[in-house]
Amino acid sequence: MKIISFANQKGGVGKTTTAVTLAHGLALSGRRVLLVDMDPQGHVALSLGLAKVPGLFELICEKKPLQSLVVYARDNLDVLLSDQSTEGVRCELGFSALKNSIFLDAISRADYDAVLLDMAPSLDVLHTAGLIASHWVIIPTRMDSLSVDGVQEVIKILGGFSRRGHVFEGYALLPTFFDRSTRETYLQFRDLTAAFGGRMWPPISQDTRVREAPAFGKTLWEYSPNSVSMRGLLENQKRVGGYRQILRKLMEVLDD
Amino acid sequence: MTKKNLARRVTVDPSVVGLLEMMEQRQIESQLPRPEREKKSRERAKISARRERRATYDLPPLVRIRMMELSGQLSIPASQLVSLALTRFITDYDSGKIDLSIYKRSSRSPRYDWNLVLPETNEFEKNQKKKKGLPNKSSKSR
Repeated sequence: MKIISFANQKGGVGKTTTAVTLAHGLALSGRRVLLVDMDPQGHVALSLGLAKVPGLFELICEKKPLQSLVVYARDNLDVLLSDQSTEGVRCELGFSALKNSIFLDAISRADYDAVLLDMAPSLDVLHTAGLIASHWVIIPTRMDSLSVDGVQEVIKILGGFSRRGHVFEGYALLPTFFDRSTRETYLQFRDLTAAFGGRMWPPISQDTRVREAPAFGKTLWEYSPNSVSMRGLLENQKRVGGYRQILRKLMEVLDD
Repeated sequence: MTKKNLARRVTVDPSVVGLLEMMEQRQIESQLPRPEREKKSRERAKISARRERRATYDLPPLVRIRMMELSGQLSIPASQLVSLALTRFITDYDSGKIDLSIYKRSSRSPRYDWNLVLPETNEFEKNQKKKKGLPNKSSKSR
């Protein structure tokens, strides 16, 4: 089982959409997936057409077993949901001597091929616990300076953990809301590719369908499987990026 | 001998490189004066449109040479002559006038089950060679 987190300190960069889309994609490919919503906004539930429930709170604060809290979302896809009560988890972890390992202990015996963590846009103790539990970190980012600053913050944290002996298998940057026609996108994309090389994954295009899908409680695989955000941008008669390509890369990570 | 600690450089995803190159080219073009920008844009559209019409096939050399000769003699683009030939083949095949089974030989390729052995090609090549041996062939055809 591999644990993969989706993190960026900046909000609105597409963490939840990416986590939900890839979780459902893995499930459709036959992998057994648990998606954990670490964000008190509880948007994983809405994205999948479910009601918000205090799953994460009951797991950490009330010590209920994981299997009694996970909710069936789709075939092969279970979710551990969040709501405002997740703020209480932060307090609980803050006072715990085992704050960095308590979350990992709670999910480590889960019987899944992959556990995906949709992190909140913050740098608090719950965020730290999620990152420490992760084998891999995917950092979605818009191509603007504020989002890229969020990337740098996550990278700094990962570096800090590594210096203290924690070993991550890897991380990747995922450009989202990608609009190839603007100069700012080009400059940010060029600079990040120069800085991160092979850790830069192909982009997810700007796509209105991505904003529409949660309103129907559908994932992109259900709502618009052939939209540009799924199939990628057309360049020289070839598709570049899109969640289908990113899913293939994620499956390589899981099989590695 | 001590073992060298060599590590390969991390390579960038080829699709990221391709996309970056295209974006770079567009950025350069966006700095050009308007008429040149429009010209580049038209050229790109033309290249893009042609790409869908392109295909690469292996042909017997004499067929290719004869097509070029015909193209020169008739002053018609070779692509259009080949298109005509292929269109006629497809029409004949669809209407059952051509039976491929007589040319089929089993193939050892993992990708294909059959090869076509074309006696017509051999005959064609013989005829072409014979024709080339004839004196004043080009003046006759004119």
